[in-house]
Amino acid sequence: MDTEQVGASVDQRERSDLPEQKDLNLVDRVKKLLGHRMLVGIKDGRFFLGMFYCIDKQGNIILQDAVEYRFTRRSSPSPMEQRGLGLILIPFACRTSCHVDCSIEEQLSLLSLNQQT
Amino acid sequence: MAAEATHEILSSRSNRDVKAPLNASIPSGDQSVWADVSSLLTLACEDLCDGELIHGVNFNLFAAMSALEIMDPKMDSGIVSAYYSVDEAIENGAAPIPLSFDKTIDIQRTIDIMDHVIACEATWHRGHSLAQTVFSCIYLLRPDRTSSHALLHSYCRVVRATCNLVVSAVSETRTNEEEDLFTITYGLQLKAEGDEKCLSILHAVEETISRQFRACKAPTSKKRVLEDIEPLQTNPDLEEGFCKALLCRLRFRKHFYHVLISMRRPQGKGLELARKHITYCLSELDSMLKLGEFLRLNNSYGTIVDGIENQTTASGCQPIGFDPTLNSRLSAPTPPRAIKLLSWRKAIEYFQKLLYDLHILCFCSLDSALEMVMHFVVEFQKLHPDLVARSYLQLLLVQDGKIFGRDPIFAVICKAALLPDVAKNHAIQTNEAVVQLCQLLINLLRILCTNAAWQRRKLGKVLQEWRIIYMQLEISFTHEFGDISSSSNGENLNMKICNHILIWVEEQTYWIASRFLMLGFELDLYSPSEYCMVYWYIYFVLVKLADKTHFKVMSSNDNSTRRGKKKRDSLKHLAKNYQIPAEVQLLQCQIYLAKGLTTMLAALRNEYNFFQNQGPFNSEYERFNQHFELLQKAGLPDQLAYFSFKDAADQARLSALSLHNCFKDAQRIARDLRTTFSNDPDKLAEVQKIEQVAEHNVVALNLIRRLGTLDPSLKVLFEFSYHPYFASAVVRRS
Repeated sequence: MDTEQVGASVDQRERSDLPEQKDLNLVDRVKKLLGHRMLVGIKDGRFFLGMFYCIDKQGNIILQDAVEYRFTRRSSPSPMEQRGLGLILIPFACRTSCHVDCSIEEQLSLLSLNQQT
Repeated sequence: MAAEATHEILSSRSNRDVKAPLNASIPSGDQSVWADVSSLLTLACEDLCDGELIHGVNFNLFAAMSALEIMDPKMDSGIVSAYYSVDEAIENGAAPIPLSFDKTIDIQRTIDIMDHVIACEATWHRGHSLAQTVFSCIYLLRPDRTSSHALLHSYCRVVRATCNLVVSAVSETRTNEEEDLFTITYGLQLKAEGDEKCLSILHAVEETISRQFRACKAPTSKKRVLEDIEPLQTNPDLEEGFCKALLCRLRFRKHFYHVLISMRRPQGKGLELARKHITYCLSELDSMLKLGEFLRLNNSYGTIVDGIENQTTASGCQPIGFDPTLNSRLSAPTPPRAIKLLSWRKAIEYFQKLLYDLHILCFCSLDSALEMVMHFVVEFQKLHPDLVARSYLQLLLVQDGKIFGRDPIFAVICKAALLPDVAKNHAIQTNEAVVQLCQLLINLLRILCTNAAWQRRKLGKVLQEWRIIYMQLEISFTHEFGDISSSSNGENLNMKICNHILIWVEEQTYWIASRFLMLGFELDLYSPSEYCMVYWYIYFVLVKLADKTHFKVMSSNDNSTRRGKKKRDSLKHLAKNYQIPAEVQLLQCQIYLAKGLTTMLAALRNEYNFFQNQGPFNSEYERFNQHFELLQKAGLPDQLAYFSFKDAADQARLSALSLHNCFKDAQRIARDLRTTFSNDPDKLAEVQKIEQVAEHNVVALNLIRRLGTLDPSLKVLFEFSYHPYFASAVVRRS
């Protein structure tokens, strides 16, 4: 519900030609992702899947109800182990990838962002 | 669904660099895709001000602070260390089988593993987690893998079986409050198929090695006969030593397993057998120590660990096949604290101590009265037995709701209350309050088997329950049999049972109170400035205890003499035989000591300003309440308040004759009791200690009286060098 409202306000801002439009865009776009399922990969090969809860200026991410996924072997595809961890903080320094579960339209808008940059 | 999706994404990892994974195959939700947001996040973060966060409306900073920080070694137990999993560790050769293709090295490594496991096991017994200690051994984690290596296989089996026995003993008795990590098995394979046959496998291996041992010892002429026996390893010079080293390790395991099995046999029937196996165990441990030198000198492989206190093997080599980090994720999301394993020598010492403790348990007399059983437990606790030994004590004491699994609790209470044998079958035992009393007694025995700190806390709490049960019994008995107090010495068995049980309950309650107070000394809970009030309280509790014990013995004597004799004779008989029972006299000694110490400490405070209660935080009144709150709540004894203590303490003077006499009286009674207790070594020791304390305090008292006013540099200290609870004064010049 909240996310929808935020989304609506973003649309309004996009339409208006404010000078800080681009800045607002980025932060608000990230705000729109709050509550989505997020998959974060880290340096040692583990992945964490949880609900996107918070991010700070330094790029540290907090996920809610996170589950840790990890392979049982370093080489070749191998069975995966998983365990629940709850609320976790993933420091920017160890993050290697970050994906969000979103609708195709949302993804397209993200892609357009990538092209811009 | 989520897991599947993730798996799919993650499987693509093999084709890509881990650092730049996925965005193609993304069947996440029905209508959704996985979109890479890394760059969006990076750009958005640049736009944020310092300290600004992107968060939703339900964000709670306080909750966010408790998030588990990934890759923080103190918070994240999942950090991949050496290996991703046990299987990967094995594939990478972390636990090879055979341990080496060189047979000599193979044997050396096997011995090192055996030693390291013992060190792990002792560390586990000391209260650390099983996963980080014993099960850091990769060989133990994969039971099937070892099957081609008979020696290691048999050892691993018996270790697992032993751990299993210990876990079940400790979890059954629940003596492990503080050491709560102990029984958690984290789903580890504690029971592998075939482990129950561990003894026969062990026996077969032992047999082979004994033959190899005999073969290498045999003179050359006989060697031909024994030629079909393949030697243990390739170096003939070391054959004998290695055979011996292995044999004592295997035999120790065998006998230790037997000890644990025998100790669990119902009604103490296995105690004698256990005693025998304990002796064998101790002698095998001795052999292990003796052969340490041989192993140290002949370690031809591996890295030597620096410092004997860090060496977990007899040879001093780092063992192969262990990785405590493999299991670290089993325990909790947060990593377990790092453990320092006991050294091999310390581990052997630990097992020696455990076996000595178990040996003492084996001498517990199954026929003794409850009072003696309690005394045994208290004495046993003085040895500071560890968790495992205490669990076996409790298993022996209380089995199937009976003492020693044999004597019904009500019968034990009747005996303790000095009732005749017929009472134990009386219908009163079905009375609800009596049933509750029996349960309280079982609980009490269990509490006495726990560690000192927990025990004291629990004892303080159950005091109230014992007070309440007294009242419940009283009401219930009156309800059932009418006024019991009017015919206290009546011939009626009902009345007698009621009265005796009530007296016994009171006596027991004061015994608990005294144990509660005494344990405070053991746990170092009292400061010297508080000794005065503690002894003052102990004095009153002991007086009540002596009173109740005396009353119990008297009423039982009354009954027994009345039954046999005519009234005229019995009076004469009573007068002639009347003397204070020895147990009461022993209490009297302690009462005198407590009184003497109270007065002495108070007088030193009044006259010399010693032991003043000076602290910035609590007043003496508050400390009094903190120490005795539980006793006061239970009204033990009634109307004993801080102010009465204060009044009494303020009046104390060193010159008082009564003070001198207190110690003299204690000394005198103790001396008389020596002959009475000549057959009871524990009581005799107690009497001697009391005598020594009294004697020293008399001397100290005289010294203070003579020198005190003349020499301002005089210092008086109180030490527990003669008795654990009754202090003896030491006079020094500073």
